[in-house]
Amino acid sequence: MLSRLEAKKPSLCYSEPLTTEKVRATLSVLKGILTSCYGPSGRLKQLHNGMGGAVCTTSQSAVLLRNLSVTHPILKILTTSVQNHVSCFSDCGLFTAILCCNLIENVQKTDLTVTTTIKLNTHLLNFCTNYLRSEVCGCRIPVDFSNTPILLCLVRSILTSKPACMLTRKEIDHISVLILRAFLLTIPENTEDPIILGKSIIVPLKGQRVTDSTVLPGVLIEVSEVQLMKILLVRKSSPLKVVLFSTSLSGDFSDPGEGNVVVSDGVFLENAVLDQLINLGRQLVSDRVELVLCQKVIHPSLKQFLTTHQVIAIDRVGVMLMEPLSKVTGAQPIGSLGSISPGSYGSVKDWCSAKFGCKHFFHLIPNEATVSSLLLCNRSDTAWDELKLTCQTALHVLQLIIKEPWVLLGGGCTETHLAAYIRHKTYEEPGSILQDDGCTQAELQLIAEAFCSALESLAGSLEHDGGEILIDMKYGHFWSIQAGPSSVVNWTDLLSRCGCGVYSSQEELGWSFLRSTCHPFVPQTCLPHESWEVSPQSAHSLTLDCLTAKLSGLQVAVETANLILDLAYVIEDKS
Amino acid sequence: MVMACRVMNKRRHMGLQQLSSFAETGRTFLGPVKSSKFITDEECHESVLVSSTVRLLESLEMTSATGQLLNEAVQAQNDTYRTGATTLLFLAGAWSSAVEECLHLGVPIAIIVSVMSEALNSCSEEVVSLQVPVHNIFDHMGSTKAISELETVSVSLCPFLQDPSGASSVQEEHDHRDGVPQLTTYNLSRRPVKSPKFFQPDAKIEAGENTSQTLKNSLHTDTFRKSIFIHSRHFNRTDNNQGIHKPDRFQEQRGATTFQTYRCDDLAELAVGLSHGDHSSMKLVEEAVRLQYQNACMQQGNCGVPFVFDISRLFTCTLPGLPETFSCVCPGYIMLVSISCAALIKELQNQPIRVVLIEGDLTESYRHLGFNKSTNIKTVLDSVKLQEDSSEELWANHVLQLLIQFNVNLILVKGNVSEHLTEKCMHSKRLVVGSVNGHVIQAFAEATGAVQVAYITQVNEDCVGNGISVAFWRKPLDVVDRNNRIPVLLKTERINLITAVLASPVSAQMQTKEDRFWTCAYRIYHALKEEKVFLGGSAVEFLCLSHLQILAEQPLQKGDRACLGWLRDTSSWLASSLAIYRPTVLKCLANGWYKYLSVLLYNTASYSSELEASTFIQHHLQNAIGSGSPSSYILKEYSKLASGIFNSSISNKLEQFPRVYDVVTPKIEAWRRALDLVLLVLQTDSEIITGLGHVQINSQKLEGFLFL
Repeated sequence: MLSRLEAKKPSLCYSEPLTTEKVRATLSVLKGILTSCYGPSGRLKQLHNGMGGAVCTTSQSAVLLRNLSVTHPILKILTTSVQNHVSCFSDCGLFTAILCCNLIENVQKTDLTVTTTIKLNTHLLNFCTNYLRSEVCGCRIPVDFSNTPILLCLVRSILTSKPACMLTRKEIDHISVLILRAFLLTIPENTEDPIILGKSIIVPLKGQRVTDSTVLPGVLIEVSEVQLMKILLVRKSSPLKVVLFSTSLSGDFSDPGEGNVVVSDGVFLENAVLDQLINLGRQLVSDRVELVLCQKVIHPSLKQFLTTHQVIAIDRVGVMLMEPLSKVTGAQPIGSLGSISPGSYGSVKDWCSAKFGCKHFFHLIPNEATVSSLLLCNRSDTAWDELKLTCQTALHVLQLIIKEPWVLLGGGCTETHLAAYIRHKTYEEPGSILQDDGCTQAELQLIAEAFCSALESLAGSLEHDGGEILIDMKYGHFWSIQAGPSSVVNWTDLLSRCGCGVYSSQEELGWSFLRSTCHPFVPQTCLPHESWEVSPQSAHSLTLDCLTAKLSGLQVAVETANLILDLAYVIEDKS
Repeated sequence: MVMACRVMNKRRHMGLQQLSSFAETGRTFLGPVKSSKFITDEECHESVLVSSTVRLLESLEMTSATGQLLNEAVQAQNDTYRTGATTLLFLAGAWSSAVEECLHLGVPIAIIVSVMSEALNSCSEEVVSLQVPVHNIFDHMGSTKAISELETVSVSLCPFLQDPSGASSVQEEHDHRDGVPQLTTYNLSRRPVKSPKFFQPDAKIEAGENTSQTLKNSLHTDTFRKSIFIHSRHFNRTDNNQGIHKPDRFQEQRGATTFQTYRCDDLAELAVGLSHGDHSSMKLVEEAVRLQYQNACMQQGNCGVPFVFDISRLFTCTLPGLPETFSCVCPGYIMLVSISCAALIKELQNQPIRVVLIEGDLTESYRHLGFNKSTNIKTVLDSVKLQEDSSEELWANHVLQLLIQFNVNLILVKGNVSEHLTEKCMHSKRLVVGSVNGHVIQAFAEATGAVQVAYITQVNEDCVGNGISVAFWRKPLDVVDRNNRIPVLLKTERINLITAVLASPVSAQMQTKEDRFWTCAYRIYHALKEEKVFLGGSAVEFLCLSHLQILAEQPLQKGDRACLGWLRDTSSWLASSLAIYRPTVLKCLANGWYKYLSVLLYNTASYSSELEASTFIQHHLQNAIGSGSPSSYILKEYSKLASGIFNSSISNKLEQFPRVYDVVTPKIEAWRRALDLVLLVLQTDSEIITGLGHVQINSQKLEGFLFL
């Protein structure tokens, strides 16, 4: 064997990567892209390969980061940790990424040593986490599952923050209700401990109106018209005995590996396999199975055999449906053609056929299972993809709410409130943040300022049309106002509600510009109970965020920023 | 470095500009009089004749991201509804210019998005008042002349011209039928009703006497051609104001008014109304619907089950190079087979034959989908037995044996067919036809009791269908197309397939003709399915235009949150400054409709310039807004408006001018898709090119790109 030897190139090593101009520039481009996507009026990005591939229009971090191929190690650290966060919590990806960039940027402006910075950042993070989890927290609302308006507000906030879904007001309401219904269908009726949640399957139906979307209990399997006609010929009985195959029943041979298989003339392997399949069919028929579901392909002859024996055969179900099908029917997926143990059979209450748009579906109606199908429609492909991801996020967030039944106020209010609270504490009770580890109060004030302004400019990123951000001096909430030389006196008339929608404009609030230097004030903690009473009739609704996702986002952002700040050398293997 | 990012709107929005310039290409396709285009490929000197938006976009190479989104939107509209693509394209263009105008005037993007989106919603709700219910279309069917199964209806085709005379004859027919006593329910009273003020209490009294239904029906016919609503100015003012503050009630009221004003219960009238100038294609579609209806009636004995027009059982057979007189509609399935089969068909004629339906290919090497053939299996010969026949020969013999065993003379195959087998079968008087549409196979399966199989070896007695008859469509050798193929008709007693034969002496027009046929067919299909149509001839667009103008002039009421869109839930300054920008955005959106109407009018050739057309619209727009209720104005002036838009030459015969209809959902969806596309592009601020694409970006274009 001929091998070529090449001299190994020396590795490249450079120190203090963050100080180079190029890294700063790239980081700021990335930050620019992410910031411009943030919030309900965020700008969209067209992703395509420049060679006629599919065009994807999005403003979601999950899609953006998946497609951005960054090369610099620092950016890679950033995108990877955000992607990790998104894969665990679905929501708050942009929040995490932008906050991380802001922190890095702000901290660099201070002249403190990296060690001090990291130490203080960690203290501030712990302080925030403790505050947001504490009873006195002024920006969180408990979630009661009997209170659907709160849940609907949460789902609606998620839908509203993704403008590329191209939903109108009515459509947002429609989809919010569907998502909530789909989620509630996944909760088992008998609440034994531990609760095992079911699954919502999103079934695509592109090209139809969004308002044609619907939720059905059970599983929808798309079938061709021809297949459906054959199924309809079979006598109906209920309940049905079900068998579920994960192996292919197409009659091909398992891969013999390398080398040749020699077969003598007169032996037909295909027929031999088919005979085996028909034998399997005989066993199914004698076991009185009435429905055969196969992930892959069933040989037409076996299908014909089953149909003539009044057994419904549905193939090409796909791997995505296997788990839900197993859940719905209680059947164990069978992976081989050997004999089947009776324990692997399952059962299903009933089935029916359904037609949505131009697609035909076989609808499995379970006895009592926690699987639902969300038939999702949107007009264009790119908007459908965005909507699907958004629905998945919303469903995931609702699951997180079960574990930690709290929501945070959205619309920038949590960030500004938190910043005001930290500022206040740093000046009034530095000891509550600073632990006994050698950092001075002045150092704390510097880093706290960097931390708070990172949070505030994150909130400010919600504005994309040149408006100004105000903060009130009572609650520390976020208010937006049109830019321009308007006199300061009549702010009460100009403002209507704060970002999250909890407070409306009143005289005694007193506002100041977000980025102006204002005196630290005591933001009111302990949200009054009546503020989270959302009635369906009320003209406004609240903008809410998931506590769990946001806390993790905060943590990931600070820790990633610390990690990046701590990088002293980058060693690149050039060969 | 494998990613580039380009900021799209530094000063002017590139994407919007691209959209409006793409849309310009489809300008001439708007309206009933369409000009065709030649598209020439400079490299291989090929050219195609296109006269529809879908075909145009298919032939253009749009590599830019915006172009691709546009193409995607048009394809999606076409796949779902098969109509409305031109409207979509034009409005996408008109509205991108409108949005650019808004940007130029400094309106924040979020406000443009929110206001436009909700304004279009409001328009969609407003035009409900111009809906015409389509009911009991098939109640009149009995009185129409029965078409015997073999009789085919030929029509002369003049595809690019309207036929007002033909249309009015339909109208006369309808008048005549109205006078026939057996349709009395529609004729009880002919007394004119002066105003809704008089009408409504009247109806209430009558309702108690169980005759309100007939009264209403009589009103429908009475007001069939000319609207007799003479609203007082005063009445309308109040009506209007009331309506705008309480949209729901307003809707209800006006909806009710419409139902009592217009209705469409005659297929011929519906067909003429939906033909949009293409009477020849529509005539064929109308006959197809009639045939399918009669078929359904015959099969069910009585028509107990309401008849549904099943478009998946309608097929076309194109005969390029043959005179148009051959165009017709026939029950059964017509397919083209090679002329060499002529003798075989002659023999098979006049006898019921047995059929086998194959889902896949009919070749030796065919395996069903999902079957992976192993490549490394070798067969060794045990003895030195000499193989005389190839494996294909063996297979063909085996197939033939099966066919003989089950006495099958016709094999319809969805996929390809082995030529060798076809020939072998022909010698034994069996016809094998490949590439048959899946719906056709399904229809034959239903009609003959045959079961589709993947392999011929699966065939057993239960899979074989009975009672198919094969015949020449015309006398043998009368009709031979360019590829030496002859049309053959397949039929069974219970088959519900209808084939429209389309012939055109100009081969280049064949595709256009087929497209137009399908457009007409789908219009009828949607109208029957939805049981409603819009009053056409741009009445809906005109109403949208006037509605937006009125909205723009109205001050935004405090607390009126319906038009805030998603901004309703935000406390952003955008919500509070909405009132300042709203009129501007609404006017820009209205301008899109204005442009649509004037181009449409200009394209119909009744106006020599777009300016003249624009004056006509302006005149009526002022009247409509002045009248207080544009929808009543449109209903009242409908015939004048429609004639202005469609054909001014017959304006002296207003009474006889046939009504024009439009499909409802496809139209509204086309608007929505157009606006969605524009707003999607508007909100996009940068283009991110992934993969290795940027390698091709040459250095002078690098300006404006950022790399990560």
